[in-house]
Amino acid sequence: MDILTILFYLVASVIIFSAMSLVIVNNTVHAALLLVLIFFNSAILWLMLLAEFLAIVLVLVYVGAVLVLFLFVIMLLDIEYKKNISQKLYLTFSIIISIIMFAELYMVIFYHDFSGTIQPGSVSENGNTYEIGLSLFTNYIFSFEVTAFILLVAIVAAIAINMQEKKRSLRQDPGKQVLENKNSRLKIIRDKKS
Amino acid sequence: MITMTHYLVFSALLFCISIAGIFINRKNILLLLMSIELMLLSVNTNFIVFSHFNNDINGQVFVFFILAVAAAESAIGLAIIVSLHRISNSLEINLINKLRG
Repeated sequence: MDILTILFYLVASVIIFSAMSLVIVNNTVHAALLLVLIFFNSAILWLMLLAEFLAIVLVLVYVGAVLVLFLFVIMLLDIEYKKNISQKLYLTFSIIISIIMFAELYMVIFYHDFSGTIQPGSVSENGNTYEIGLSLFTNYIFSFEVTAFILLVAIVAAIAINMQEKKRSLRQDPGKQVLENKNSRLKIIRDKKS
Repeated sequence: MITMTHYLVFSALLFCISIAGIFINRKNILLLLMSIELMLLSVNTNFIVFSHFNNDINGQVFVFFILAVAAAESAIGLAIIVSLHRISNSLEINLINKLRG
């Protein structure tokens, strides 16, 4: 047992147990904080696979941006924690399904003998970031631009979904003023006596 | 020594746990979104493992794209959750049948 093996088992067990408690926990804030723990430990695992750029991106983008967004939304929404009535049925059902899926995946993994070991510095001698940048800006330049467009769409959509029209403001709307005619404002009622 | 199988079994276990999370969390759509993030994380771990052991950088580029798309997806999902909570004042999935589909 070298130090890398011990580190792998420690980090993987932390991730698995916090994922289990994330799944069954009832408090959303605790779930978000457990997700922070999982992402940090996954960054350690990715560092062990010499993917240092993606490990740093995982911590910066996910823990720094996405999970802070999650926590903001939890703070904005006023959620009451009710006990799930039919949770027991779903729990047994989900455990059965996930055990079946895991057994199938396990058989597939052991059928193909993936027995390569970690080699230090095997990906590149220039550094991981250099290699990713080189590949990203030559082979995948179109995908990179499309990703930028997807992020723009996400920004616009997130704002547009939550945009509310303010009804309190007394501002005049010229379009509505032009569309008004006499009949919508004036109603002539004849007196019956005359 | 750590072999590829260790990482693949770990990733499969994480994926199955998050599948179970999607089934269990019927009362809270926020936890469902977090389970989806966990599934994406395990898939990304698989990509990085194969990228490392096949000595190929393209897997890590794909992880980069998946991270960007997942960030966009969770931002839009959270915006939908906020507007849903404003309309129906709850996060239960059973009550989201506004369109009567």
